[in-house]
Amino acid sequence: MKNPLEPTPQVCKRYRTEKAFKRLGLSAIVMSLCFVFFLFYTIIADGYSAFTQTYIQIEVSFDETFFRGANISNANFPALVKRSMGKIFPGVTGRKDTKMLSSIVSPAAAYTLQNLVETNPKLIGTTKFIWVLADDDVDMFFKGKTVTNVAESNRRLKDKQLTWLDQLVSEGKLERRFNKTFFTSGDSREPELAGILGAATGSLLTLFITLSLSFPIGVATAVYLEEFAPANHWTDIIEVNINNLAAVPSIIFGLLGLAIFINFWGLPRSTPIVGGLVLTLMTLPTIIIASRASLKSVPPSIREAALGIGASKLQTITHHVLPLALPGMLTGTIIGMAQALGETAPLLMIGMVAFIADVPGTFTDPSAVLPVQIYLWADSPERAFSEKTSAAIMILLAFLIAMNSIAVFLRKRFETKW
Amino acid sequence: MNIQTIAAAGVLSLLLCGPALAARDYISIVGSSTVYPFATVVAEQFGKTTGSKTPKIESTGSGGGFKLFCSGVGVSYPDITNASRAIKKSEMLKCQANGVKDIIEVKIGYDGIVLANSKSAPLLKLSRKDIFLALAKEVPDPKNPGKLIANPYITWKDVNNSLPATTIEVLGPPPTSGTRDAFVELAMEGGAKKFKFIKAMKKSDKKAYKKLCHTIREDGAYIEAGENDNLIVQKLQANPAAVGIFGFSFLDQNSDVIQGSFIEDTAPTFEAIAEGAYPISRPLYFYVKKAHVDVIPGMKGYLAEFTSDKAWGEEGYLADKGMIPMPVAERKQFQDDVVTLKALDMK
Amino acid sequence: MYSYLIPCILICTVTAYILGTRRATTLAKRIGEVKDLHSLPAHYGVFTALSSAIPALFIFAIWCFCEDKVIGTLVSRSLPTGLLQLSKNELSLVLNEVQNIVFGGFVASSSSDAIQAAAEHYKTLTSTARNIVSGVVIGATIIPAAIAYGRITPKLRARNIVETVAMVFLICCSAVAILTTLGIVLSVLFEAIRFFQVIPINDFIFGLDWSPQTAMRADQAGSSGAFGAIPVFAGTFLIAMIAMLVAIPVGLLSAIYLSEYASTPFRTWAKPIMEILAGIPTVVYGFFAALTVAPFIRDIGNAVGLTVSSESALAAGLVMGIMIIPFVSSLSDDVIHAVPQSMRDGSFALGATRFETIMYVIIPAALPGIVGSILLAVSRAIGETMIVVMAAGLSANLTFNPLTAVTTVTVQIVTLLVGDQEFDSPKTLVAFALGLLLFIFTLILNIIALQIVRKYREQYE
Repeated sequence: MKNPLEPTPQVCKRYRTEKAFKRLGLSAIVMSLCFVFFLFYTIIADGYSAFTQTYIQIEVSFDETFFRGANISNANFPALVKRSMGKIFPGVTGRKDTKMLSSIVSPAAAYTLQNLVETNPKLIGTTKFIWVLADDDVDMFFKGKTVTNVAESNRRLKDKQLTWLDQLVSEGKLERRFNKTFFTSGDSREPELAGILGAATGSLLTLFITLSLSFPIGVATAVYLEEFAPANHWTDIIEVNINNLAAVPSIIFGLLGLAIFINFWGLPRSTPIVGGLVLTLMTLPTIIIASRASLKSVPPSIREAALGIGASKLQTITHHVLPLALPGMLTGTIIGMAQALGETAPLLMIGMVAFIADVPGTFTDPSAVLPVQIYLWADSPERAFSEKTSAAIMILLAFLIAMNSIAVFLRKRFETKW
Repeated sequence: MNIQTIAAAGVLSLLLCGPALAARDYISIVGSSTVYPFATVVAEQFGKTTGSKTPKIESTGSGGGFKLFCSGVGVSYPDITNASRAIKKSEMLKCQANGVKDIIEVKIGYDGIVLANSKSAPLLKLSRKDIFLALAKEVPDPKNPGKLIANPYITWKDVNNSLPATTIEVLGPPPTSGTRDAFVELAMEGGAKKFKFIKAMKKSDKKAYKKLCHTIREDGAYIEAGENDNLIVQKLQANPAAVGIFGFSFLDQNSDVIQGSFIEDTAPTFEAIAEGAYPISRPLYFYVKKAHVDVIPGMKGYLAEFTSDKAWGEEGYLADKGMIPMPVAERKQFQDDVVTLKALDMK
Repeated sequence: MYSYLIPCILICTVTAYILGTRRATTLAKRIGEVKDLHSLPAHYGVFTALSSAIPALFIFAIWCFCEDKVIGTLVSRSLPTGLLQLSKNELSLVLNEVQNIVFGGFVASSSSDAIQAAAEHYKTLTSTARNIVSGVVIGATIIPAAIAYGRITPKLRARNIVETVAMVFLICCSAVAILTTLGIVLSVLFEAIRFFQVIPINDFIFGLDWSPQTAMRADQAGSSGAFGAIPVFAGTFLIAMIAMLVAIPVGLLSAIYLSEYASTPFRTWAKPIMEILAGIPTVVYGFFAALTVAPFIRDIGNAVGLTVSSESALAAGLVMGIMIIPFVSSLSDDVIHAVPQSMRDGSFALGATRFETIMYVIIPAALPGIVGSILLAVSRAIGETMIVVMAAGLSANLTFNPLTAVTTVTVQIVTLLVGDQEFDSPKTLVAFALGLLLFIFTLILNIIALQIVRKYREQYE
């Protein structure tokens, strides 16, 4: 006799479908996670080397003759570097060779010396060993990012320079160190001197404005439209319109921002305040749509219960509906902010795609943002900028992850299942 | 919740205020993306060595730069615009109309435009005529000279027997780019002129002549690859059959992986471009508003830095970045223009 | 004083809140219990706080906006007559110089005595004006709060007042979103109308050729100048389609797995990691598509004998699909998660497997949210530029073959609006016409989606 508990073929089939479906779901997730890790891998593999930089030690004698003029900053610091290099390789003569020799140290070396002397004028008259940045070509060579097996004329570094570098390495006068400059300075056209601080600060200021405007406005709009607005054709039109705004190409928001904030309100170009406002307009639809969706998903019974015991409509919403809908709203905000963090096109119109070397301090200083910095570096001819680009992307992702983890933490706190 | 509302309002008003908008104490520069890499070096040098604020340089394209530059005199308008071509008459008129009366024109040097392909592919030795035949939308019928047909050439070999039999696939700038303007003017038109009847057209029907010389085929052999030249360089490495068109500085920086094609038997080298032997090179400029020179902090310093020999001279740092310097006499002339603030003669 | 105004206002507001609440509680004790008040004590507190903060912030904000202008006008009035005759823009330069002296201590070599004097004048004016404003603002924080405090009685309908203010805030916020829409529609519409005055609307909507780069200047030769939008929209459609073919199945399956099958720790980790996909800058995806995916597709295609162009819609679409996975997965996951547990329990109790529960109960219940998330993903796919520019090129081919190069609406808009542009040539105006058409196109899409949701939504409870 057949065991009554034995599943029928039909049940077996249903459970097979179930299993297959579960596997399908898992593979979808695994696939997306693989993409994440693959992209991370490519970025990190290309960019991690930007966190170190090649330095060369030179012996600089700060002769008084160099600082005859009243103004220290007028002294010819590049010549000082040149002479120090000549001291290491006394055999190098001839205009062309000296030029080749001094080109293995970065032009930034002169700035380093200038800074040293300006902060400590007592150095004049002394001789010091100083580590200065090597040129980006040298740096790329030591990081293995240039092709070396081609004819000399096709290489950035010539044979002579390579022998000098070999000598420097054997004398211990060349080493790779942690690249502090990258985290402490603004943009530069010398790859070895370029830093991310300016763009990161710009992004921080811009996102601060975007977040503090778009989250409250977005949530408030969603609450109004979902909970208070009368259900009629107007509301439908508004809903469709807001959905539609999400599909408007972001550059159009840039045009709108240019017209309203810069031309009409007279706010200064290229500043975080204008960038933040434009990005606010751009992220609003995303936040509103997500917030409305999550408000919709709060069961009506909760509202009815609150209203039933005498809460006012606003109390119902703020005390019961909003906390329940918050996880979804936060998701919308994360995605919106992620988009704002990575957007370049609208900023093009308001002048934020620019070379700005100084680190911005306020909302009205000209500043770049991270994606713009990435975009600009990706378009720079120097090879060394390619690793800087990847490193900047890593910083941007770190930003993103930090932002996400705050939101995840909040989402976790508010999430309930009923 | 109402506390939240108040908090929101507080933040809102905080943001609305901030510190009162301070005056502009930095130079604002707009303009060509080709001049951008050079102008930024000067700006940085200026900022680092003088301790002034580093000028802000936007990369808007030459046309966009002139548009902003010519919108008026005042703090909200840029002080300098970079351009990879000379200012046009129509643009000057626009400037005049908006009260931008005195403009100082400064030519800063030259930029070569190169055709390059991957090192793993054979080196191309092209003439301008080959370029024209390979890329023009309409070319003279080889069987029936004097008649124009739609470009039939598929491989480089079809164009010129001495070239390899690879498919014509050229990655180049879109028409919005100044590089494209210069390329069609110098390479395509230069090649088209080699045909006598086309050259004759120049006199009889200038418009048709321009159209013929400057129109690039739209059948897929020429791929508009956007303005990102680095991407083109990397695409060339990934696809050895392709040829790319971009500025000399990108070839200079990537000479270990790509090779510049010979044009008229001249390799695109720094020296060849500087001597004028390499045929495809164009001048670069910047334009200064005279009215701003005294009132915006640092203007004079920046101009002096740009026109100093350590910047734009043969041994200057701009040459290291791939800009081709002008001859001494020409440099002297523009330097004097800057010192005397000689305004461009508005014809 | 002036620079501490904001903290001052904040302190006053908080104090007002505390005092108001206390006063309400004391009053309540006098007449009985808290329930005998009309509103909660906190409502009275907020009422007092609001009357302290709103007028003060309002005045302060207005001053911040016009300080420059007011003082600038006053100073320029006092300038010597020689400078007064300058045009408005030149005057702004002079004022800038004055402000630079005041704020930055910068003195131009040419700064005349008149300008130095103006700078001094500017300084005194600013400090006087700021002192006055500080006084007014402090007054505006304290006086209304005091009045409000005095008005607190057990009968005062504080809650209603506070809720009215909150409603006003909500409505203002909605107005921002609606005004943005309006602004965008208007800014696009007028330019588009100007475009249609040059190019007939039929040629635009039904034209099969797209080659908009006409000559901008008399001495420039552009391309043929055809403004047919169909190839551009076909390209957009093709790429968005490919992207959605990647994103919808992967995203939806991930969402279902995350909310229905996955353990809590897995969900906590996997979801934010997936969300990172949406935040990776598009430049990265662009490089990935152009340098990894496109050559890979081309090699495979060549191996099986297909002609694949090195810039293909497929590469761009696939990569874009990856980018928008989180739009579908995260938002859908949230709404699926929010489906009441009782519904799952009911379905299980009837003997349904998880799969059946998901298909027949959960998805219909979560449909509006899912459709919303898909719409958002489609929107993003349509709006993306960088990936297409880098991987699919700029040439408009009218084709549905995913192995050829195509272009999209946004890419065209961006290329037309940056670089050389002239705001009266059809070349630039067509960008707005494209924007308008896209707007209408997505509008129709959204209306259809709304109808679908209405029709199939299973409203429980």
